[in-house]
Amino acid sequence: MIGEERDELIEQVAQVFAPLPRVNARATAQIMAAVRARAALRPSRLRLLLGSLREPSISMAAAGVLAAAALVIGFFTGDRVGVIDSTPAPVQVASNSVVAPLQHVDNSPDARMSNAVPVSIVFEARNAKSVTIVGDFNNWDETTSPLRRFGADGPWTVTVRATPGRHVYAFLVDGTTLVADPRAPRARDLDYGGDASVLMVTAP
Amino acid sequence: MYGWLARWWWRNTLQRGNLREKPHLRRVHVSDIDPAVPIRAKGGDEHAFLEIVEFYYPRCLRFARNMLGNDQDAEEAVQDAFVRVHDSFPRFREDARFDPWLFRILANRCRTLMARSRRHHALIEYGDLPLSASAPEEDFGADWAEEVRMVLESLPPEQKEAFLLRHVEDLSYEDIAAVTGVGLSALRMRVKRACDTLRVRLAGVEQNDR
Amino acid sequence: MISNRFGSYFVRSAVAVLVALGARSAVAQDARLTLIRDDATRDVVRQVLGAAIARGMPSDPLMSKALEGVAKKATPKRIREAMNALEGRMRRANELLAPTRSVDEMAAGADALYAGVPEKTLKLMRAAAPNRPIAMELGVLTEMVANGVPPKQASKMLLDLMAHGATGAQLTALGSAVQGDVAAGLKPDVALDLRGRGVMSLLPPPPSVNSLNPRGRP
Repeated sequence: MIGEERDELIEQVAQVFAPLPRVNARATAQIMAAVRARAALRPSRLRLLLGSLREPSISMAAAGVLAAAALVIGFFTGDRVGVIDSTPAPVQVASNSVVAPLQHVDNSPDARMSNAVPVSIVFEARNAKSVTIVGDFNNWDETTSPLRRFGADGPWTVTVRATPGRHVYAFLVDGTTLVADPRAPRARDLDYGGDASVLMVTAP
Repeated sequence: MYGWLARWWWRNTLQRGNLREKPHLRRVHVSDIDPAVPIRAKGGDEHAFLEIVEFYYPRCLRFARNMLGNDQDAEEAVQDAFVRVHDSFPRFREDARFDPWLFRILANRCRTLMARSRRHHALIEYGDLPLSASAPEEDFGADWAEEVRMVLESLPPEQKEAFLLRHVEDLSYEDIAAVTGVGLSALRMRVKRACDTLRVRLAGVEQNDR
Repeated sequence: MISNRFGSYFVRSAVAVLVALGARSAVAQDARLTLIRDDATRDVVRQVLGAAIARGMPSDPLMSKALEGVAKKATPKRIREAMNALEGRMRRANELLAPTRSVDEMAAGADALYAGVPEKTLKLMRAAAPNRPIAMELGVLTEMVANGVPPKQASKMLLDLMAHGATGAQLTALGSAVQGDVAAGLKPDVALDLRGRGVMSLLPPPPSVNSLNPRGRP
């Protein structure tokens, strides 16, 4: 059947489009991350039901335990209860200003990072001996994301994982100098000043 | 300007090597995945879904790139399609073949992105330019391939889609009908018209070059 | 009456003490503190973080802010001020973004407020997307305002685009395009207007138009 319609020219044309592209592992990982994130964002009816049943039972049980604990601890400490030395007593802020429990959102580091997307970053620094990237996606920890150099004189690259949204980062060159990414928008920092850049991450 | 040389190089190097001296490479049939795998994926087996992604990603990316002519859009279409496949598994019939079902979702994404891209390019006056990806050593072959791509790009989208599904993805007309929702005779006509245009336009290129 | 007040007092004391002890223990166990080599800075961070956790705040953005200060060689006093200020902004963002809250949204909302995004905008964004995370949208808005787009104009455009179903990728692309235009010399408000209308034209018409004209004919 194909032979009738597929002469040599069409065969050649088809061959132009036939090579299979290379697939990087990142693409597969992005899909799996997206699928897991969707599964995580879609709580089952059972979970919702259990959640709604669980809340009051915890608070009632907690009330008894806490009251007992209060009697014991209150006996020894009196009114001078502080969280940490030189900070105000938590009683003053622990009523209506306490942040309400986060609802239907799993804020554990694992759950948050399951939404994270790998992002590759390239940096040119010919004379640098070492470069690491620091930013809010790695807690500004200079030890977690060193850049690797392509060749003796090539650019430095790194792939980091960041959740969708806006992130601020900078490069630490030779362990001493903090440098903004010249290819990225500059982040204005009124808290500390200094150079940093903005990375926008889109959900896959 | 080097079109004739590119064509000669294409025929006498790539094509001789790939097609004439290695006839077994002329038609590389890509078989379907084991039918049990999509069923396991439908049941929530993450490993099975990963197997599907790894098995089909190259073919899907090839189709999307050929349809959209743009790597970034193609990646977006394929990734989006797989997520939709995952979400739509409850509606996948276990006695149905998986390939046409997958390509139906992918083709839909490609059509959406094509529409978006057309409107986008019409509106944005300046801005991001597409990156050129041709390597220097492939210049001559790339010239001929570029000619072919330009002709295919000029086809109406439904002809391009039918041509690629038939002659590049090797789907049967029945499968293409399942992918596109178009009747068999109309599909045959689309493919025929695409082939006719390619023959005329590429023959013209050759004559002009000479 | 008296016994009720008595019971309430003890329960509240107990909550406070247990939360405080839990917070202290959580901070003490946070391995990230070891990244701070300076003793004075580490003590400040431990104090501020412990108090914030006791008040129910998430630790990650605050710790990140602290470590950013360390990376930028800020003094302990500066770090304390920055952490306290961030906690205040996060608390406000949390109120505005209720009832759905995530750590990422709180941090993104805090950044948006810091950049000058009106508080009302955060409320409206939550109303526009009550069931999905909007950290990315908040980030795009923050960047636009940081690029000089008037906050009200940026807010209105973003809310319009969200109402029309703009995807995260479209919004990010819009933010990048505006940033590029501004860098090229275009006025920020003009850049947003131009690019925003471009994105808007790609989106399907709002539902009301479809319902009035179901066949889609002019």
